[in-house]
Amino acid sequence: MKRLQLQRWSSSVLGPRTRTVNRLHQHMYGQRYQSTASPIQTGRVPEDSIIEDSTPLDEKLSEIIRMSHARHSQLQYPSPTVEAAQQSAKLAALHARLYLPSRLPVETLARTLVDASADSNTDFNNTSLATLGHDLLSYYTTEHLICTYPRLPLSVIFAAMYAYAGPKTLAAMAREWGVELASVPGGEVDPGLLQFQRLEPGSEVPDTPASDTVRPYEQQLNWRKTVTSKVFYDDEFGDPIKGAPNTTATGVTSEQASAEFVRAVMGAIYLHAGRAAAKQFFEQHFLSRHLNISELFNFRKPARDLTRLCAREGFERPVAKIISETGRKSRHPVFVVGIFSGNDKLGEGAGASLMEGRERAAVAALKGWYLYSPLSVRVPSAMEEASAAPWKPVHVDLGEVVV
Amino acid sequence: MATSIAATKRPFLTLPFLLPSLSDSLALGFRRNQSSYRRTKQRLRVKPDASFDPSHQGRDHIIHNPPSSAPSVYHTPSKFLPADDVRRASSPTTVTTNAEDLPGVYKSMPERKYHLTPSDVEEIRNLRLNDPMTWSRNKLAKRFDCSPVFIAMVCQASPEKREIQARILEAVQSRWGPKRRMAREDRQLRREAWGRDA
Repeated sequence: MKRLQLQRWSSSVLGPRTRTVNRLHQHMYGQRYQSTASPIQTGRVPEDSIIEDSTPLDEKLSEIIRMSHARHSQLQYPSPTVEAAQQSAKLAALHARLYLPSRLPVETLARTLVDASADSNTDFNNTSLATLGHDLLSYYTTEHLICTYPRLPLSVIFAAMYAYAGPKTLAAMAREWGVELASVPGGEVDPGLLQFQRLEPGSEVPDTPASDTVRPYEQQLNWRKTVTSKVFYDDEFGDPIKGAPNTTATGVTSEQASAEFVRAVMGAIYLHAGRAAAKQFFEQHFLSRHLNISELFNFRKPARDLTRLCAREGFERPVAKIISETGRKSRHPVFVVGIFSGNDKLGEGAGASLMEGRERAAVAALKGWYLYSPLSVRVPSAMEEASAAPWKPVHVDLGEVVV
Repeated sequence: MATSIAATKRPFLTLPFLLPSLSDSLALGFRRNQSSYRRTKQRLRVKPDASFDPSHQGRDHIIHNPPSSAPSVYHTPSKFLPADDVRRASSPTTVTTNAEDLPGVYKSMPERKYHLTPSDVEEIRNLRLNDPMTWSRNKLAKRFDCSPVFIAMVCQASPEKREIQARILEAVQSRWGPKRRMAREDRQLRREAWGRDA
């Protein structure tokens, strides 16, 4: 039997610390040490530095002085300097890990990591990129949902939007991407860390809508807010639009900062690499997340809704029938109830009572209606590609059942 | 192999005179178990499904034994497909031929008569408004030969009557103990879970 050469194999399996290096290799190249701390950024030496005229000084001393000067110059800015981005290993790793297009420079990636609460200068924080990325995310998610499931009720669309592109999801994505948070923002911080001013512990997160919303009668808290009005007055998740950020609050939560970062990455890709790259990034990182839309429904009176739906669409009146049952007189009976419209079975459900089976069957039938998906789904943004096929109108539904 | 072992073992175990000295004390210990190899095999030898019946074997057929699970909600019933969808013509799978033969959930489906006139509705409203204690929903439904749901659709009890009713309900519920209260709340929660399909 041939002898295994473990050393050659282990290089790909073992980590760098435990790797077995043969003596010759060690002798020729020496032991390599790695440190987890990022190297101190050495910026360009200022013109009026004292190093120029102090050449006879000890080299080590001049090095220390230069470092302290660089550190001094870094400390005067609220966020890392642009030159520091090239030196950061974390940034390069993040760029490679996300498989970002090479046309997106690490300097821009560093800018996406600076929140507005860390650096209020809009030329250096990610606000503009995040605004663009937020609009792109909303647009791509909305068109995907509406074209794939043209009959979804609005409340379900809001919930699905929140699940795909809501702040909680974006924060989870930033965590999955391995973005670490800086404790305190500053010019000397590694630009690969997400920089934002944290909220003081114990301070309340403002979740009430700002007073200057466009919605009329906002003060009438008891009035019902219809789902339709949310389309006009609220944001894409059906939540009230937050006004300008509160000036008294100095910081943001890590969730808000992470969400802003992910949006800013989207905007940066769009700006540097173009529409196609942004679309691809969206499909790879957002649409690839699994969301079971059928779990977002919540019906109060499914049987009544189904009756109204059948009346609206001109189908025969739905009738619940027992398909099979077992143990009717026992402690745990099971009834399988189907809802039929004429000879067509619309839905089927199993329950411990006839009522439960009927309600579940009605829920299944309503979900079957709402979760209709056309065979070949094309979204409007597909027309932006060169040499796109002519547009065929998508299926537009009457809308959800209103009782 | 297994049968030969069983054949050699069997006389040994069934002939207790081979172990004369330990006969009584060990008889209980050597008693045969239910879970012998052969018996387990016998239990597993169940009759195959009817679709595997050899009478089909003259011609080609598809063996289709659907699992005992509810159909996926992402599979739209063909009745719900829009008219321009190609799946509508190709898959009449949701059509059940014996829908009429199946028993209904209710003992009898009430026949819809649509016999009440606007004057009847006006009378219902008057009766309920003037004497709400006598003319409850059930009594009105019985008198006008319609369902209580219809009575609720055309009129509503006066606020005083609703307040009295709420107080009665409160008085009844105040006599419930913790067990009954929790059971009722659990039932309500379970019922709400039906709509979420949870």
